[in-house]
Amino acid sequence: MKRFATGGLAAVALVGVLALSSCSSSGGKEAAEEESKTAAGGGPRLKIAMVTHSAQGDTFWDIVQKGAKAAAAKDNVDFLYSADPEGGKQAQLVQAAIDQKVDGIIVTLAKPEALKDVLKKATDAKIPVVTINSGAAQSAEYGALVHFGQDETVAGEAAGEEFNKLGAKKAVCVIHEQGNVGLEDRCAGAKKTFKGQMENLFVQGSNMPQVKSSITAKLQAAKDTDAILTLGAPFAATAVDSAKEVGSSAKVATFDMNKQLITALKDGSIQFAVDQQPYLQGYGAVDELWLYKTNGNVIGGGRPVLTGPAIVTKDTADAIAPFADRGTR
Amino acid sequence: MSETRAPLVRLAGVGKHYGNIIALQDVSLEVSAGEVVCVLGDNGAGKSTLIKIVSGLHRHDSGTYEVSGEEVRFGSPRDALDRGIATVYQDLAVVPLMPVWRNFFLGSERRRGIGRLDIDFMRRTTKSELLEMGIDLRDVDQPIGTLSGGERQCVAIARAVHFGAKVLILDEPTAALGVKQAGVVLRYIVRARERGLGVIFITHNPHHAYPVGDRFLLLKRGRGIGYHRKDEVTREELTALMAGGAELEQLAHELEGIESGAAEELSAEVKRLGLTDA
Amino acid sequence: MNQTVAQPAQPVKLDERVTRKSPLRRLLGRPEIGALIGALALFVFFGLTADTFLTANAFSTILYASSTFGIMAVSVSLLMIGGEFDLSAGVMVTTSALVASMFSYQFSLNIWVGVAVSLAVTLALGFVNGLLYVKTGLPSFIVTLGTFFMLAGANLGVTKAISDNVATPSISDMSGFSAAKQVFASDLTLFGIQVKITVLWWLAMVAVATWLLLRTRAGNWVFAVGGSAPSARAVGVPVAKTKIALFMGVAFTAWFSGMHLLFAFDSVQSGEGVGNEFFYIICAVIGGCLLTGGYGSAIGAAIGAFIFGMTNKGIVYAEWNPDWFKFFLGAMLLIATVVNLVVRRRAEVSE
Repeated sequence: MKRFATGGLAAVALVGVLALSSCSSSGGKEAAEEESKTAAGGGPRLKIAMVTHSAQGDTFWDIVQKGAKAAAAKDNVDFLYSADPEGGKQAQLVQAAIDQKVDGIIVTLAKPEALKDVLKKATDAKIPVVTINSGAAQSAEYGALVHFGQDETVAGEAAGEEFNKLGAKKAVCVIHEQGNVGLEDRCAGAKKTFKGQMENLFVQGSNMPQVKSSITAKLQAAKDTDAILTLGAPFAATAVDSAKEVGSSAKVATFDMNKQLITALKDGSIQFAVDQQPYLQGYGAVDELWLYKTNGNVIGGGRPVLTGPAIVTKDTADAIAPFADRGTR
Repeated sequence: MSETRAPLVRLAGVGKHYGNIIALQDVSLEVSAGEVVCVLGDNGAGKSTLIKIVSGLHRHDSGTYEVSGEEVRFGSPRDALDRGIATVYQDLAVVPLMPVWRNFFLGSERRRGIGRLDIDFMRRTTKSELLEMGIDLRDVDQPIGTLSGGERQCVAIARAVHFGAKVLILDEPTAALGVKQAGVVLRYIVRARERGLGVIFITHNPHHAYPVGDRFLLLKRGRGIGYHRKDEVTREELTALMAGGAELEQLAHELEGIESGAAEELSAEVKRLGLTDA
Repeated sequence: MNQTVAQPAQPVKLDERVTRKSPLRRLLGRPEIGALIGALALFVFFGLTADTFLTANAFSTILYASSTFGIMAVSVSLLMIGGEFDLSAGVMVTTSALVASMFSYQFSLNIWVGVAVSLAVTLALGFVNGLLYVKTGLPSFIVTLGTFFMLAGANLGVTKAISDNVATPSISDMSGFSAAKQVFASDLTLFGIQVKITVLWWLAMVAVATWLLLRTRAGNWVFAVGGSAPSARAVGVPVAKTKIALFMGVAFTAWFSGMHLLFAFDSVQSGEGVGNEFFYIICAVIGGCLLTGGYGSAIGAAIGAFIFGMTNKGIVYAEWNPDWFKFFLGAMLLIATVVNLVVRRRAEVSE
């Protein structure tokens, strides 16, 4: 009879879920924009567009947006977000922002060449541009005011040093997106400072069971592996599972941050996290454009502003726990 | 087979129009058990409309349609099938990649228990039914696509016969076949007749129709232009009628030279295939 | 309706044009044979080149990797035999996991309620896929491409709207979790080897699907609607129902895979699953399914998934440069397609 009750509930619930999904299919962004319109702020109302190379549903970019929206609400800014992982399409989105006559553009330069021309158009149209996350090298050349981001190689180097402190000898760097320059740089940086031996492992990031079995396979093949570096927070937990399964004592560390990671850092299953503070990238970029429009300020005097690496360990995890908990760290 | 019952199928003064286009007008036809009626006509003569009415795909607008003396108006091909009227279309309704036996029973699978196929029975039945029609298949497990066009046609006919057809409608079964293949199919038409079926054989080739037909209905522009018993008409007359009217004489002359040769060839073929009694 | 069978059976004469099929030739006619040969070759190859490849633990890891593709490949292969594609299969797995997770979490219900709701929702999605295909008459490629994007968008949109995050919160402390984990994501020890339960489910599904295909009326219909839908319709096969059922079959395995995803990893990333649909199709194609429908087997798809898992992990075991992974994948696909082409030509010689 329990099953019967469950079935009835399920039917009612099904209706609920369907109703829910139908009314919120275009939800998050719009709702947030509504909020920002009502928020008060100083100066004239600005319109700022952010165009990133993010794939859909990426935790990292979600936090960047949250930071940007928080700054937008404070500064009385109308914040527009769009993204496409493909360079050409990202350029089209930037063009669309120019056509909309926005007051400022925030852009990522994951594929700098693809965006070069369209950014020229933006500066010609006297629209200030701020680059974030990737493209520190090209930022100034392409006419951007300033760059907010983490130097991936520097961050990788920091991770390598941390592993040295832990006394690791043989490490694996797990790349969850093949051909992504930023990820390759992280591994290359880590390899540079790491005193032991480090190899790359490619996994298919969109398929968690495959990530797990690949890490498991790697640990079975190279039994003396004593350190695993993942490049995204969700993969760290999976690496911990794999190590447990194989009976490996490999220490796991990761890039980026999320709520689950705090718990793992505290209980010691993950050694450290290299946080590039995505919230700061979004927040800083919007704030910079607002400052520039209202007061002509340029943060950092035009030099790239580094938002990371911020190393989070067991000792510092508690301090940022509440922020990670609400999804802004 | 020579009971004096009502014919299996009788159309009297049947007509059909699509909007203001008259597709068929005042056509009559009778098929009894053990009889082959050939419907001859050129493209656009109304053959396919006639089949569609008999097979239940369309309803006639005028005239009467009787099955075994009972007037009918079919709503779907299923209705016609239930009355024992089965149609073998040009495309044969076979699935080329499936084994012969699966094709044979497709849509009417024989089962043991819930959902479980009685494979043994279906294999055996397919083999014996085809043997009955004079087709000796080496392997009923081979994909039907590996059979020749004529053989596939015969499987389709055998299938219709097995599933209780009393009247077989064959839509241009020989159209796409070579002379020899066509001969094979004609032979199975005769076999079907011997088994007591009524056959409506649609064709535009009088040389295929004449050896096997008992009666010949000629259609032109949606009208019947002749309905003859075999003893009332010769092959040449039939060919002449097909071409129709005055232009015919001339055509006959033109054809004479080639014609006789071809006819001789066919009758030789027919003899070889054991159809001389037709 | 028949006359008496008095007519004596004609003496059986062997057709002089063909020799009797040898068992070997018969075997070569099976759809999965190309894949099987490929699998054996790969196995030997990796066995020789990778030291750890031939250990029991490695085998168990490969089987796990294969099973997560393989479970989906079972239903996707049936759908392909039925002549259709489902490009929404990959994200549907994520949808299914998200629904179960969020439903239980938001309403603080027993996990099993979420699991049941998820099953209902996912099956409904499969039904909608099928219905859209049947009603519009558009190629399933287009229809499911549409639902693929819609689901990918809804996965993210709904998740963010409800939990203000792109991943669902962990549900590992909720009631019913451990029991559900037992069913969908546990480890078993068989003959001293740790085996993931998904491997057993996978094998069971392959067995059921094979039985369905070869021994039931439904299976006959699947082949028929894929081989020639008009012919199937003409002989009374319910084409629309069969196709809808096949889409729902994909939904069912998507639900199962989604439950594995949820209970193996506690929380679900809403952006996951994109791109996997092609891997499922690749498994089916490597396993001998024709892209044009009407031909293939569930066992073949299972071998395809095994090949895929083996290639995937074999490169890791061999400790090669992982940059070559996609190269291998592409080569496997090409070879499999060529083998299938040869088979198909043989089957349709007279066409």
